[in-house]
Amino acid sequence: MTQIGFYFDQTRCTGCFTCAVACKDWHDIPAGPINWIRVNSIEKGEFPKLFLTYLTIACNHCADPPCVKVCPTSAITKREKDGIVVVDSEKCIGKDDCGFKCLKVCPWDSPQFSNEVNSKMEKCDLCLDRLEKGQQTICVEACPMYALDVGTMEQLQEKYGDIVEAEGFLNNDKIKPSIIFKPKRTK
Amino acid sequence: MINNKADMDENSEKIINTGCCHDCGGRCVLKAHVKNGKITRIETDNEKEPQLRACSRGRAYRQRVYSEERLKYPLRRVGERGEGKFERISWEEALNHVASKILDIKKKYGNSAILFVPGGGNQGMLHGVTPVGLMLNQIGGYTRHWGIPSYEGALFASMATYGTMMTGNARDDLLNSNLIIMWGWNPANTVWDPGTSLWLAKAREKGIKIIAVDPIFTDSAAVLADDWIPIRPGTDTAMLIAMANVIITENLQDQLFIDKYTVGYDAYKDYVLGREDGQPKTPRWAEEITTVPEKTIIDLAREYATSKPAALIAGWGPARAAFGEQYSRAANVLCAITGNIGINGGYASGFMRAYSSRESVGSTGKKKEGPIKQNDKTLKPKKPRPQDNLVDFNAPPRKDALFKLRGGTNPASTRVHFNDYYNLILQGTKGGYPADIKMAYICGTNRLNQYGNVNKGVKALKSLEFIVTHEQFMNPTAKFADIILPANTFMERDDIAVPWLGSPYYIYLNKAIDSLYETKSDLEICRELSKKLGIKTSLLYLPEDQILRIFASPRKDIKNYNKMKEEGYCKVKVEEPFVAFKKHIDDPENTPFPTLSGKIEIYCEHIAEKNDPLMPAIPKYFSHDEHYDSPLAEKYPLQLITPHNKRRTHSSLHNIPWLEEIEPHSAWINPTDASIRKIKNGDLVDVYNDRGRVRIPAKVTKRISPGVVCVYQGAWYKPNKDSVDLGGCANVLTKDSYSPGGAFPLNSSLVEVELYQKEQLEENL
Repeated sequence: MTQIGFYFDQTRCTGCFTCAVACKDWHDIPAGPINWIRVNSIEKGEFPKLFLTYLTIACNHCADPPCVKVCPTSAITKREKDGIVVVDSEKCIGKDDCGFKCLKVCPWDSPQFSNEVNSKMEKCDLCLDRLEKGQQTICVEACPMYALDVGTMEQLQEKYGDIVEAEGFLNNDKIKPSIIFKPKRTK
Repeated sequence: MINNKADMDENSEKIINTGCCHDCGGRCVLKAHVKNGKITRIETDNEKEPQLRACSRGRAYRQRVYSEERLKYPLRRVGERGEGKFERISWEEALNHVASKILDIKKKYGNSAILFVPGGGNQGMLHGVTPVGLMLNQIGGYTRHWGIPSYEGALFASMATYGTMMTGNARDDLLNSNLIIMWGWNPANTVWDPGTSLWLAKAREKGIKIIAVDPIFTDSAAVLADDWIPIRPGTDTAMLIAMANVIITENLQDQLFIDKYTVGYDAYKDYVLGREDGQPKTPRWAEEITTVPEKTIIDLAREYATSKPAALIAGWGPARAAFGEQYSRAANVLCAITGNIGINGGYASGFMRAYSSRESVGSTGKKKEGPIKQNDKTLKPKKPRPQDNLVDFNAPPRKDALFKLRGGTNPASTRVHFNDYYNLILQGTKGGYPADIKMAYICGTNRLNQYGNVNKGVKALKSLEFIVTHEQFMNPTAKFADIILPANTFMERDDIAVPWLGSPYYIYLNKAIDSLYETKSDLEICRELSKKLGIKTSLLYLPEDQILRIFASPRKDIKNYNKMKEEGYCKVKVEEPFVAFKKHIDDPENTPFPTLSGKIEIYCEHIAEKNDPLMPAIPKYFSHDEHYDSPLAEKYPLQLITPHNKRRTHSSLHNIPWLEEIEPHSAWINPTDASIRKIKNGDLVDVYNDRGRVRIPAKVTKRISPGVVCVYQGAWYKPNKDSVDLGGCANVLTKDSYSPGGAFPLNSSLVEVELYQKEQLEENL
């Protein structure tokens, strides 16, 4: 089965948030709690020997996605064709009625909800509308540092290797996130 | 694939090629998706490399265009100045009012009573301040400024040392360096030409060592550099001079280069070794001043001197300080004595402009070379032309200007330093200023917010008879206007944008949508106002496209204007990376430096003529009245710096929700300084000095040096009834004075910080 996933070069990310803003613009998401792609910062060390890096995470479209398994209404599915995990908001019963089951099993907080009562889950769909036109995702085309890429896992592994660890990233071998990294190492 | 042309796709959506053109170091491609006359989405350059990818600021632009806070109609003030109470009026009424006030003041007090307050809020060739300046010149001129807050120190130093502002190498040349020093320079946040951070990352990936010197562990220091050297703000000059001391003492200087291309090395050597004043400027001496360990200074000096070619890139930030021009001069000189100028992989620290058609051809189309005496009357037309400002046309040069050199700011003595406007307004000719100001014409600037000493600015603006501004939002400055003329954004008009630092490209900003509400372009406003001012013939009366073509015509590298307009940009092909002063080094006989001596001036003869001990002919380190060792530091022990952050362009884009959530506004403070003040992360604190008080949350972080507080500039001034600024405008705390060489002391304020309210208390309220 083909699996599309992410590559993230942690050594290059300057934390500029261009990917996040471009994502919100493209998918018309207001400022607020819904962030299909998130930029987290990781700080370590003591002055003046400091370490700072960023970790950009959207949805890792896992090979064995736990969110799909726990969804009470099968609103979350994994596409046969490309392994993209998608959510059908018609079927989602909402966060309050469901109790955030998908969010609770996701190690990276990829399922996102607005502050509205019983809001429905939404998340990164790898810009399906763009992929279907043969375009790259909006975040990949936005990154001024060329730190992001999206492609089939085979393509990405061939180009970048197969490291699935990065500073601040909690790997989970069981569910197999579709992401590879160039990690930033502490000195 | 959607192509780049404005073709219809299947959803009848057009893609309009335009670009971002606020006052930042970028200048990037934006592609606006337009459906039914409305921008629905924005993409950036996705075509051939090198792409001009926009940052978060440009990507958020849709929220700016459609912000509920846009000014929609002409407004007339009904409340007190600054109160923000206005009534809607018609354009006819507004323009008649402005025209009659201008003509009335001109008649009663003369043109010098009109103060033009321009700003870089829009950086297109046509819109923004350009038409306003043309219009005001046609009615006889106005009092205007000299000095630009961002770079005046760097500009002065570049002119003094090299005689030009064209000092930068192209970014791709960084790959030819053996060592790169980013001094007070944070391109990860400030951009400095699209692609700058990417080139630095590529250089690091190639194994080129990068070192950052900065009071803050910036994103650039953390991500792009291998090492970070924290330094006490305002002491950069001391460290640079101590590095020169190491280089000279250990005989690491490039003597052949010094002998062949420079003047004044011996005078500098005497100062550095202490022969002039008895104080050798050793690394030990500098350690006490800078807090940088002696060994670190020695190591960096040795590494820089022996890693040729090495690029010392001295940012503008440390020059935005008291005696900032000395820092910039000291950096330039260090580049010179190590022979890192005019070679691939080196870098002539300075103004940083690289490729540009602007300085290579004058208005006549002829290439200018060498020093030109600007006060030489033979170079001026006998009669002023329509574009000349009559107020300063025949004024003798300012004493403190490097007026014999071409390329600096205009030296006319009728001009007033931009950071000295409030004293000009409040004191006038009685205070020794060249004019008595009665009105201000403000365009493209949130003036009150962005210059030193906001509280004095409030008094000055309140004292004027009349204020008019072109604005897009009700910002702190607009609240002081009598008439606000609502301007459209760059998405609503055509323009051409030239990259700030002169990388080889132009962006054509195609109008994406019609002007929203009743807004007009700056050109339309000035056109209509010019008629009401009785101006018979004007360039502004020509069609917009024709004016743009006239403005673009001296740019000989735009080979195909129509193609540029259609594609939205013109990327000029450059055969090899631009290296400043390459010709001057390769062929010095035929290409002298455009200084008075024809050489790199370590000792600047033109400055020596000024005979001002605070403006020495060689770079020197000075303390000042708000330095760490000044008496005032007893009362206000923390040094405030006010750099640019990643989510605004100066004060533009401050009110954009997508950007605000990236980095909420706060005062950065080191845990050591915070704990003795019982301040925890997120607590509301007061940052204050004798000029004012701002109240914002504290960010307690090891990323800032002890003894330093950082309030990023650009947040909007929002005073409460006790004049405490709840908006966190950094300039409430900064000074409205200027350095002998013109540098703005905006990173040279002493402050104290105190806890106002615990975070948890606030939640309980």
